Amino acid sequence: MKKPIRNLAVVAGAASAAFALAVSPASAVASTVWTVTPSPANFTALNSGNIVLSVNGIAMTCTKSNAAGTMQSATGNPATVGSISTMVFGAPGVPCTSVLGTVVATPTLPWAVKVFDYTAATGVSKGYIDNVDATVTAGACNFRVTGKASGTYTNSTGKLAVSSTSGELTVVSATNCGGAVPVGAKPIFKGDYLVKVAGTTTIPKIVGSNP
Amino acid sequence: MRGPRPTPRSPRTRARGATIAAFVALAPLLPAAAVAAGTLKVDAALPYVCALPSGERPATVRITAAFPERAAVGEEIRPTDVTTTVELPPAAVADLVALKAATVRAESRLTVAVAQNEQRAEAVWNGTAQPVPVPTEGPLTLTTTGDVPSLTTDTAGEMTLTAGAFAVDLAPAGADGAATDPPSLAVTCVPGDDPEGRARLAAVPVGAAVPTGEPGTPPPSPTVPSPSAPVTGLPRPSLPTDRTAPAKPRTAEGAPSGTPRGPLVGPRTDAGPAADEEAPGTPEPRPDAPPCVTEKPTPASLSAYIVGYSNVRKLNGANLIPLSCIQVEQGLIEFVERPDAFHVITPAEGGLSYQGRRQTPPFKATFLTFGFVPTTATVILEQVGPLTMRGDMALTFPVNTALAHVRVPVVLRVLDAEVNGTPLEVGPSCRTESPLKSVEPEPDKYPGDHLVLVGRGEYEYGQDSKGYLVLDGGPLTGEAFIPAFTGCGADGENIDRLLTAAISGPGNYIKQIQSPVCSVGVPEAPAELCTEDRQPRQIPKPER
Repeated sequence: MKKPIRNLAVVAGAASAAFALAVSPASAVASTVWTVTPSPANFTALNSGNIVLSVNGIAMTCTKSNAAGTMQSATGNPATVGSISTMVFGAPGVPCTSVLGTVVATPTLPWAVKVFDYTAATGVSKGYIDNVDATVTAGACNFRVTGKASGTYTNSTGKLAVSSTSGELTVVSATNCGGAVPVGAKPIFKGDYLVKVAGTTTIPKIVGSNP
Repeated sequence: MRGPRPTPRSPRTRARGATIAAFVALAPLLPAAAVAAGTLKVDAALPYVCALPSGERPATVRITAAFPERAAVGEEIRPTDVTTTVELPPAAVADLVALKAATVRAESRLTVAVAQNEQRAEAVWNGTAQPVPVPTEGPLTLTTTGDVPSLTTDTAGEMTLTAGAFAVDLAPAGADGAATDPPSLAVTCVPGDDPEGRARLAAVPVGAAVPTGEPGTPPPSPTVPSPSAPVTGLPRPSLPTDRTAPAKPRTAEGAPSGTPRGPLVGPRTDAGPAADEEAPGTPEPRPDAPPCVTEKPTPASLSAYIVGYSNVRKLNGANLIPLSCIQVEQGLIEFVERPDAFHVITPAEGGLSYQGRRQTPPFKATFLTFGFVPTTATVILEQVGPLTMRGDMALTFPVNTALAHVRVPVVLRVLDAEVNGTPLEVGPSCRTESPLKSVEPEPDKYPGDHLVLVGRGEYEYGQDSKGYLVLDGGPLTGEAFIPAFTGCGADGENIDRLLTAAISGPGNYIKQIQSPVCSVGVPEAPAELCTEDRQPRQIPKPER
């Protein structure tokens, strides 16, 4: 039988972790002009380290993930500087895993890359992945996650570090997941990607300014 | 593990599809066309030194067999017309005479070394002989025949077969037919000097481009790997049998009638790359396998294949339970708090599925009656209650540990049987009198006789799971007590006791390998786990 009280305890644990992740310095200045170099450009991204989606304390881990899309200069705050048209979790022979077993995540694309803060001293933009929408399957457990996931992009390394905070993503539907993944659960999406201009070793740059 | 794989006594076949009729009767149903055109006949008389009760003596072992002249990569190489004749010296006869033996029955075992490129394997050719009179003097000649393992390889290159150790078990009997004391003599022989290399029985070129029906086509260079070879070479003996008489034709599924199918048409479940070694994300055509379409799926429907061996203690060998479809409904995943950790419970319930029935496909099983008379039977495992699966994952750090139980009540039903090549009428209701039984760790919760298979696994975040998880599959093991048989016989002849003596008893170890499950009922079934019609895509291979 499902035990709601026990599940609450697990949720609380996950939420605490999420708050810890959300703590970060807030010294950036809002920018409205975003210069992407080169622009427009196709980009590719490969994970650096594990990509993890945690729901109710259950981590679904992908050791391989890659993405591709386009990026371009933009104006606004937030501004959409990129569009992710390909997002793959897992790879042939290297599926995503969890305590339940193999997990298959199928994203509904495109997702948007939006930025709102830039720190010139570090070359780091703050932003989020928007329009996140993915269906996750583990056996007969099937659930859909939507929302956004906060992250940063560092010009010097090309690292897109995604680290969503609790509440940004929500399980909007779930079937046969029982107490493991109830509707309304707040998953955490965390992982780093290294971004390159497609077909090159060039790291794209994103610079925000206020003219 | 890659490389040549021996298949001890346990019969194997690389039959595809629903087949897997693992045992014995496969050779007779091989259509001639399944053998590469052109036949290499071997007739070799080899020197051996045999250990007799009276001491070591030289002996000659003559081996005759026929091989395909060449084979394509992946094609079965089956030695045929195999006879083994040993001429034991007069000293052996004296040993038998001393036992007051009037006749002697022989069973032989010839070890054959199989080599290809850098790969090595061993096959055992078993043979049996009808009783022959013990001569009053002079040598004793014993000729045994039997079906022998077939071989397959997934790479190109010359495959050689070389005769090795030879053993013959003698069962002498007195003039009144009674066993002597001791009732048997075991004679072991080792190859003697063989300066001419006659022990090398055959060298069969294997190449991907070799046509199977055109004897005039030269084989390709044996050193050139087949571009289609999916894995490194691995000659695999696959079907040792003890038969001495041909079986009636059967389908590849082992059904008692139908068009014979060569093993080339079925899935290879015991050899070659397992689907789980291939890219799960690559939806390549699935090897042939028994249909496993879930007819009326629900969102909770899952399906998987399972295959593996069941040791038969009385046989001192193993029988292959063929690739079988399992269809279950997943229950709700639960969290349970226990003193050691939170546990995630994954339950499911359903059963076997074969042509709409809750059973395995028919398969051949080999047993020994009276300890040495080969008995073969076509059998099925017939489900008589729900199959339940229960995965229990303890959320411990850093490694989560999983324990799963699969419980299923099945009876062993015998469809037909042969003893030493002679068909037995088993009748339509021949089965164990109750379900096969394992020790149940929770008898109060799970009453009644049933098999219990246990899977253990572990999962560390960011790592592939190891061992068994309900959704990922893996090895399940258990031990079965096979109850007595009932309802066996026809025309007033009851053979319950014969089958009970041959088969029934405790300590029958089972090891089954489950494939990852196909999420049949979800809106978008994962392509790497399911075919387009939502059958399990990945085919497990049996393990010992």
